[in-house]
Amino acid sequence: MKKRIWKWTAAALLILCLCLAVYAGNRETVLTIGVYSGSYWNTPNGNCYEILDEAISVFEASHPGVKVEYVSGIPAGDYSEWLAGRIMMGTEPDLYFVLPEDFDLLVSSGALAQLDERIAADPEFDTVVYYEPCLRSGQYDGKQYTLPHESVPTIMFVNKTLLEENGVPMPDNDWTWEDFYNICAQITHVDSRQYGVYGYSWLDAMYSNGASLFSEDGRSCYLAEDKVMEAIAFSKRLTDLNEGYTVSTRDFDEGRVAFCPLLYSEYRAYQPYPWRVKKYSAFAWDCVTMPAGSSGGNVSEIHTMMLGISSRTHHADLAWEFCKLLSIDEALQRKLYTHSHGISPLSAVAEDPELLRQIHHDIPEGSGFSPEMIHQIMSNAVVVPQFNAYSQAMNMAENAIKNAAGNRLGQSGMLIAESEINYFLNKS
Amino acid sequence: MKTERNLMNISSVMFALNFSILAFYSLICMTTTYRICESLGAHDFLNTVRQVPQYPWQMPVQSLSLYVLLCGVSFFKRFRPIEHFPFRVTIFAVEVALCAGIIASVNFYYNGVALLVLADLVHYIRSNKMRLCIIVILSLLFAFGRYDIVQQFTSGIPFGAYLDFYNPMTQSWFTGLESLMVCLNILLFVLYMILLFTSQKDENERIRKLNEQLNQANDQLRDYAINMERMTEMRERNRLAREIHDTLGHTLTGIIMGADAGLALFDVAPEESRKRIEIVAQSARDGLTDVRRSIKALRPDALERSSLPQALTELVENFRLTTAAQIAYFQETEELQLDQDEEDALYRVVQEGLTNAVRHGKSDRIEIRITRNEDVVAVFIRDNGTGCGELEEGFGLRHMRERLEMLGGTMSYGNLSRNAEDGYTGFFIVVRLPVRNRRED
Repeated sequence: MKKRIWKWTAAALLILCLCLAVYAGNRETVLTIGVYSGSYWNTPNGNCYEILDEAISVFEASHPGVKVEYVSGIPAGDYSEWLAGRIMMGTEPDLYFVLPEDFDLLVSSGALAQLDERIAADPEFDTVVYYEPCLRSGQYDGKQYTLPHESVPTIMFVNKTLLEENGVPMPDNDWTWEDFYNICAQITHVDSRQYGVYGYSWLDAMYSNGASLFSEDGRSCYLAEDKVMEAIAFSKRLTDLNEGYTVSTRDFDEGRVAFCPLLYSEYRAYQPYPWRVKKYSAFAWDCVTMPAGSSGGNVSEIHTMMLGISSRTHHADLAWEFCKLLSIDEALQRKLYTHSHGISPLSAVAEDPELLRQIHHDIPEGSGFSPEMIHQIMSNAVVVPQFNAYSQAMNMAENAIKNAAGNRLGQSGMLIAESEINYFLNKS
Repeated sequence: MKTERNLMNISSVMFALNFSILAFYSLICMTTTYRICESLGAHDFLNTVRQVPQYPWQMPVQSLSLYVLLCGVSFFKRFRPIEHFPFRVTIFAVEVALCAGIIASVNFYYNGVALLVLADLVHYIRSNKMRLCIIVILSLLFAFGRYDIVQQFTSGIPFGAYLDFYNPMTQSWFTGLESLMVCLNILLFVLYMILLFTSQKDENERIRKLNEQLNQANDQLRDYAINMERMTEMRERNRLAREIHDTLGHTLTGIIMGADAGLALFDVAPEESRKRIEIVAQSARDGLTDVRRSIKALRPDALERSSLPQALTELVENFRLTTAAQIAYFQETEELQLDQDEEDALYRVVQEGLTNAVRHGKSDRIEIRITRNEDVVAVFIRDNGTGCGELEEGFGLRHMRERLEMLGGTMSYGNLSRNAEDGYTGFFIVVRLPVRNRRED
């Protein structure tokens, strides 16, 4: 009697296992993608899922039995929180977009899979096609965690109308701090509410002077270094031109300011029609590179939207394939370049003259962004290291600079601040 | 026993308490995760802990299911005592492993399960070496299975990070409840140990006293046995003396008197003298019969009553009943109609062999085989006992050999191979006895 029960139990278990196996065998593999809606770069964007949908149809066609899914309608502003919530619940997508400001958090908490071994093992994949700074945005401690999808550098907005009114010629793309300062000095007339520059910080000056405030690993601060001190002094000289007046966005929008650092995406969105009428339509404007510091070049900060694979995914191989498709596939990148407002991380795509002509087609007076200029900006761009204590350390540096301006302590004050920041960085 | 019941009750309370504690930790972690996500605090939380948390369901499912398994093993062991040593050790190892698994599955927030398992196993294990081993392992687990120590080697989210989600009031409620339960567990553990060790001390004292009494009884028994043997010997001696006096003495007196009378009449009345000597011869013959009868009285009772095969069967049967040993008896010949002295010798061989196997060899399985080849009867006895360390011939064996040698027989004996496949690994005796041929009778 007992034996018979055992037999039946064994048989039932066997059948259950078989059913499970058949079920698992027939089930479609579902690859999930984490994506935000709208534009991260704060620019108007038509159908934000167009490129992704196309990539999915290409991918599903070449991978039968695989279904790619994503949750739509998560605004870019809520995306970080949404992703963090998914990670907390253990339901994060297999592959997801990584915002520049989330990169450090996601890597240091172990949410992203390391890609070095995959890159080395994949014969089709060669990192030389990328701009080096774009690729570097996805590195942490020398290891690659994400692939670049789209980059946006900072460029300098120039109010052409204001310059012309004051008889100042448009600056070249290889202009320097001195050129910049001279023009600002010429333009600035505080009495008639006319100013040289808005929003140009000592950090912008620092990047174009070949310096960085923190080391790559976020363990040391270089606040008192000569190049940094020069940048601080330069930005102070610029603000001193305004005789104590703080220039506002309103001044800028009304066309009273000659220069303002701007994201390339805004240039792409508002320079051509139809969006041209929405912003800065009261005057003519164009963009140039950032002015070069005495020991640097015409270099600016770059922001890169990236793609990373979850460290807990069960479909790592598929995720990698799809990640490659979105990042390195030239056809898709070309489409993205024309649809979105960033610059492709692939040099072959970003510098294609035909594509650039197409992009700048709707700018009536034409664009100064030649392939050479894009090459110059993209290959020399600065990737600001992100780390846990970044914002706190940055606050400390800002305060130190403010205090130094007040009590005129100069470099010794900076040295004290630098050692304080270093102490904080090593403690945290 | 009262203490035993108390121990059982404390351990049951500990089991229940530990379940609550594990449920407390894992449910707080799980529900807090959900609440953090609902209140859009996930990004901040991740930013603080810098660590991808486990799946929310993972901790409750893992820790509680492992805990239920642990309870299962513990209760199984409590209600079905296991004697087999390797199996016991396996059970201990499983319990310790489950304990480690539970501590790891609650992220090392709580390690009091080690105390529970320690209490559970220390009660169960009697061997001191084993106890020490278990105590060391579980103490290490208790000492080092703590979040603040383990965190140095692996990264995990501190329990405090989850509590930080709540307002200070709720937080203090939670921490209060946590420390209350953890302290209660330690307190119960201490109480359990105190009770266990005092009860064991009492029991040891009781056993020592009983042992003393037993030794006394043993001594008395030994004295009694010696007295008994002496008395038996004396009684036997008296009987022999009486027998000799009654038969031989009487007959010999008659013979002497008859012979003297015969001698006196020899010359005078030879006819009368011849008669007298005939009477003497007759009474000598009668005397011989008497002597024979007397010797017969010393024979084994069973042989007196029945034939050798029957007597042997009876002997084996009795032995089986009195010692509970399994005895395989094979009589492989029908021809066991022997002379009395031969029958006696064989009977005594089997009797002595059986007694030795049980008394000295501690065996419970004995095989006896009797065969006959022409005029040689052979007896094989073997057992599964401990055999004999030094092959020194005791009184029994020597007596047997002498008896056999008198009849022209031989005896050999020794230890069997330790890894015999049929299980007979103890002692063996082989006896060969040439018998006087009575087949034609």
